[in-house]
Amino acid sequence: MSIDQALQSDIFLTYVAIVAGLLVFAGAVLGILYLLGKNVSAPARTYRGWLVMIPLVLGTIFLGREATIIGVALLAVIGFKEFARATGLYNDWWMTGAVYLALGMLTIVALVPDPRLEQPGWYGFFMALPVFVIVAILLIPILRNRAKGQLQIVSLAILGFIYFGWMFMHLGFLANTPHAYGYLLFLAFAVEINDIAAYTFGKMFGKRKLREEISPNKTLAGSVGAVAVSISLPWLLWFSFPHFDPLHLILTGIIVGVGGQLGDLVISYIKRDIGIKDMGTTIKGHGGILDRVDSMIFVAPIFFHMVRWFHGVT
Amino acid sequence: MKEWEYQPPPDIDASMAETLQNFPREPKMLPYAIRSMASLLLRGWMRTYHHMQVDGRENLPDAGSYVLVCNHTSHLDTLCMMCAVPLAKIHRTFPAAAADYFFSSLPRSAVSAVLINALPFNREAKGAESLAICAKLLENEGNILIIFPEGTRTTTGKMARFRSGIGRLVAGSNLPVLPCHLGGGLRAWPKGKMFPRPYKLHLRIGTVQTYGHLEKNGRSVRAICGDLEERVASLGRQGK
Repeated sequence: MSIDQALQSDIFLTYVAIVAGLLVFAGAVLGILYLLGKNVSAPARTYRGWLVMIPLVLGTIFLGREATIIGVALLAVIGFKEFARATGLYNDWWMTGAVYLALGMLTIVALVPDPRLEQPGWYGFFMALPVFVIVAILLIPILRNRAKGQLQIVSLAILGFIYFGWMFMHLGFLANTPHAYGYLLFLAFAVEINDIAAYTFGKMFGKRKLREEISPNKTLAGSVGAVAVSISLPWLLWFSFPHFDPLHLILTGIIVGVGGQLGDLVISYIKRDIGIKDMGTTIKGHGGILDRVDSMIFVAPIFFHMVRWFHGVT
Repeated sequence: MKEWEYQPPPDIDASMAETLQNFPREPKMLPYAIRSMASLLLRGWMRTYHHMQVDGRENLPDAGSYVLVCNHTSHLDTLCMMCAVPLAKIHRTFPAAAADYFFSSLPRSAVSAVLINALPFNREAKGAESLAICAKLLENEGNILIIFPEGTRTTTGKMARFRSGIGRLVAGSNLPVLPCHLGGGLRAWPKGKMFPRPYKLHLRIGTVQTYGHLEKNGRSVRAICGDLEERVASLGRQGK
């Protein structure tokens, strides 16, 4: 991945065209609704959020491999920070500091080449890093000679690193693969479409709640509709990964459709348990970073390992 | 199994601007790190560019909360006072700063809250609301409040009358107050100039005063203001 390759990549340019077209279309729909006298202030705020986020994401991918990995790492750092703040782990600076260091380490390992294989991204160390990070986190109470409340702090720190850091960073590691543009752009696009489909189908047909104890807004109809859309997307966007067999397309659709909603539900029950509505206020009209990337955290690592199994990642 | 207790911060739903303008602020790692770095740089700059000299540093109490009261000639006053307190206490040192000036926009709020650790002081209604926040802040051990009782920077070099806020804050309490005087600020960075000029700054820190023996009424407030004003002025005369 580099600027030159992005300019010559049909996949990258096609996605830019698709997304730009959709943005113009959505803007036109909002404009017409506004002229018809409908109240569009809430969707307009969400739309403005997209107008900022989409150029940022496309721009980062355009800049190349390093920018993409660092960009995902930044999202992971902010996401972990939101999690740490919401749970109160943030009050323990030792633990949060240790996880920040670990996230920095994770970024370096995703950037540097494997010293023996000379391929971009140190895959072996990337996969082994959680062992060392968990050891370090478990050591902190011993170093500080503390026991009270440490189980909670250690558990939150480990979950924070593994889920919001390491699992999410698989997305960044995808930038090291030869088909990076297709994988990254498809995932970013499909995960968001999946979210929007769940919302739209839910609004139109939703009656039965999906998991009423976790999220009152999610409905069975929305969920089924989103899975249907997501399963068809890889076929429509086959150009993103021309080397995929039909089996891989089916798996990709299921991973995005089911995984995306599971990721959403995971963040939902975490928020429910803590007793907050949004993870933060980073993106106007969308809540925190975690409210936006929740599905991706679940989808990225599973997609990564599916791809690795069938095609390898280097 | 017992449920875990989470402690989400009170400002979790606040926007960035609100978070910066709120007081007291939640302790956060990144602002602390930036402030520590900035304080180190500031100390270096003050020492080399302004040849800052501090007399009476030994008068600063080692523990407990206290108030520093200083004449106000330029923005350098605040920076200078921040360099006089021990570096370890930088995150618990709060210069009271006019909310209508230092917190009027997002960039200004960011600089005031993160770099200077300023306490947004609302000058309306004689600052009653903000004084209550100050009093609450000083109840906690180890906080340092920096106040410029003149309320605004002088343009002539003549010290203005002290406003009543400081008197109302400390009358009838055993809170230590240290009068301070900064010389050279007016020459180094006059009001309206873009950048400071490399003139010498001389900060004199006076001895601890307490006003617990006075009752909390209008007369003692005026007496305290007059006393502090005189002490600051006499520190200023020492150099001449």
